Amino acid sequence: MQALTYFLDGLLSIGSDPIALFAVVWATLLGMAVGMMPGLTATLGVALLTTLTFRMAAGDAILILICMYVGAIYGGSRSAILLNIPGTPANAASALDGFPLARSGRAGEALVLTTVGSTLGTLFGLIALALVAPLLAEFALSFGSFEFFWLAVFGVIISGHLTAIDNPIKGWIAGFLGLLLATVGQEGIHAYQRFSYGWTDLAGGIGLLPALVGAFGFAEILSVMKAQRYQAVRDMGSAALPKLREIWGYRRTVLRSGFLGTLMGLIPGVGEDMGAWSSYAAARRASKEKALYGKGSREGLLAAETGNNAAVPGALIPVLVLAVPGSAPAAVLLAALLIHGIRPGPLIMIESPAFVYEVAGMLLFAAAGILVLGLLLTRPLLAVLAVPRERLMPIVFVLCTVGAFAIASRVFDIWVMLAMGLFGFALREMKYPMAPLVLGIVLGDILDKSLRRGMTLTDGDFAPFLTRPISMILALACLATILFSFGAVRRAFAAGLARIRWPGRGRAGTRP
Amino acid sequence: MPRADFLFSLVLIAVGIAAAAEAWRMPRFENLGVHPMTAPGLTPGLLGLVVAGLGLALLLGAVRAGGWQRSAPATAGQAAERRSTLGRVALALLLTLGYAAGLVGHMPFWLATAIFVFLFVALFEWPLHEGWRRRLRGLAIAAVLAVATGLAVTYLFEEIFLVQLP
Repeated sequence: MQALTYFLDGLLSIGSDPIALFAVVWATLLGMAVGMMPGLTATLGVALLTTLTFRMAAGDAILILICMYVGAIYGGSRSAILLNIPGTPANAASALDGFPLARSGRAGEALVLTTVGSTLGTLFGLIALALVAPLLAEFALSFGSFEFFWLAVFGVIISGHLTAIDNPIKGWIAGFLGLLLATVGQEGIHAYQRFSYGWTDLAGGIGLLPALVGAFGFAEILSVMKAQRYQAVRDMGSAALPKLREIWGYRRTVLRSGFLGTLMGLIPGVGEDMGAWSSYAAARRASKEKALYGKGSREGLLAAETGNNAAVPGALIPVLVLAVPGSAPAAVLLAALLIHGIRPGPLIMIESPAFVYEVAGMLLFAAAGILVLGLLLTRPLLAVLAVPRERLMPIVFVLCTVGAFAIASRVFDIWVMLAMGLFGFALREMKYPMAPLVLGIVLGDILDKSLRRGMTLTDGDFAPFLTRPISMILALACLATILFSFGAVRRAFAAGLARIRWPGRGRAGTRP
Repeated sequence: MPRADFLFSLVLIAVGIAAAAEAWRMPRFENLGVHPMTAPGLTPGLLGLVVAGLGLALLLGAVRAGGWQRSAPATAGQAAERRSTLGRVALALLLTLGYAAGLVGHMPFWLATAIFVFLFVALFEWPLHEGWRRRLRGLAIAAVLAVATGLAVTYLFEEIFLVQLP
């Protein structure tokens, strides 16, 4: 009951404040525009807005950032449908069926379907956030240094595994390079300056926001300028309002995608991309219209868009209760929370219990924003796609430069942005995922402090890291994730399972 | 890709070993009674070894895929496309690095921004326009966009968001 009161209070405080409502409209709209433009991702949008809003009151700033985040993940579906280029990586699955629908003259229908799917996904996720976050926070109160160490390792390993399925080694390399980069600068226990070589700026460490703006902004600008020019579908077709009967017909798909999307959001560093792909794959497996998938399946498009937007609140759950980001944009939000003096972590339900429900309220306004603005501005927003990259990218780079500089007013941060941009571009060209790199930079401090504090507590004995129950489970999860990335292990495991199910057949030498 | 993986794996192994070696040289504060397993070099040392190990795994995969050999020579079409792509990236790099590292901080921000935006738009759009009339129109649009961006960004950040500019 107290939770409901907090939630309603949160809704009322936004709903009764015209400035907050105006912020919902402009931030959601800006998010949609950012998401629509190939090359501008939700991470970059949230990072740039963090630098703009850091002088605002905490509640206003977080509301704006959440609206930007939800709007950008939704907005990316438009370029996926109309250009066959996902506006953000989270919308890649939407292009599979969205673009064929657009090519067959049903772009309008596809856009309406994605609007409804994204709204329902966000709603499902925010309900999960309000229900799961307090329970997870209570559970996490039993976490000590040992558990946080393994949580950081597990985050990097699972994120690397799921974001680079073709070659998980590349995902892990990105993640561990991020962890290594995070060790640069003054460490938090003995105040020793690591890898600084007397350089004062470097002793302050690599700032998360300049690094993110570089890896997601500058690197993306180079990638966009490298690519060929694109052509948008202009024929919108009909349908400006959703067909409720059709949506009701897909209710199981929506619920399944909402659940999977939220779950993928919860897993550290995995986020919206996997939320969309896992929902799409599950919907396809369960579908009665499998043959339509990839050729313009409305169900497939709805599943992908429900899944990626459900991952947004999902990714905020670990941010709030563990201070571990569920996705790259959530990593920026974590940094923004810290900048505004909010301390995420297991104690959040004790120190500021209303905040989790206020975030759920903000998500509700963001969901309403994408529904209303998405349906009303279907055609006018197409103008965004007409902006040539040659005119857009220099402006984005100017914003990246200002954004990197703004938080600490250090020219050094511009250098960090440039260096991380070049590094990120090189990694992208070699097919390395960015999410584990970001997660590594965020989790590096937790990993370092947890490992060394744990070692202090045990007087140098590593055994408790492996024997405490939760630590043991997390360590085994890391090991299983690594082992299952090898085809031979997966095949041996499947064969073992088959033998357990059909023992007689296994002995007779016949395949089940 | 195997060739790039092969070369990058060598870089990773070198970086990992260098980080581990540097971590080994970090002080352990034994004179202060600090346990050696809590020394500042512990985490970077372990991470350096992991990065080197992952580099080695990447190297083995790249060698198996033939990455140690030079790739087959590109066809004329591929070579032309690669030159065009490289040209675009090189120009983007030159302009962005020139702006952030050269112009910003050495002149008023709005002017640095206007020069950068004008050059970026004009140079990238130049090959897209045919005929002098279209090119002059393109240059005029670039100039208007450049000045507008320089002034708008400066005003927005300094006056509205109260953010200090470089």
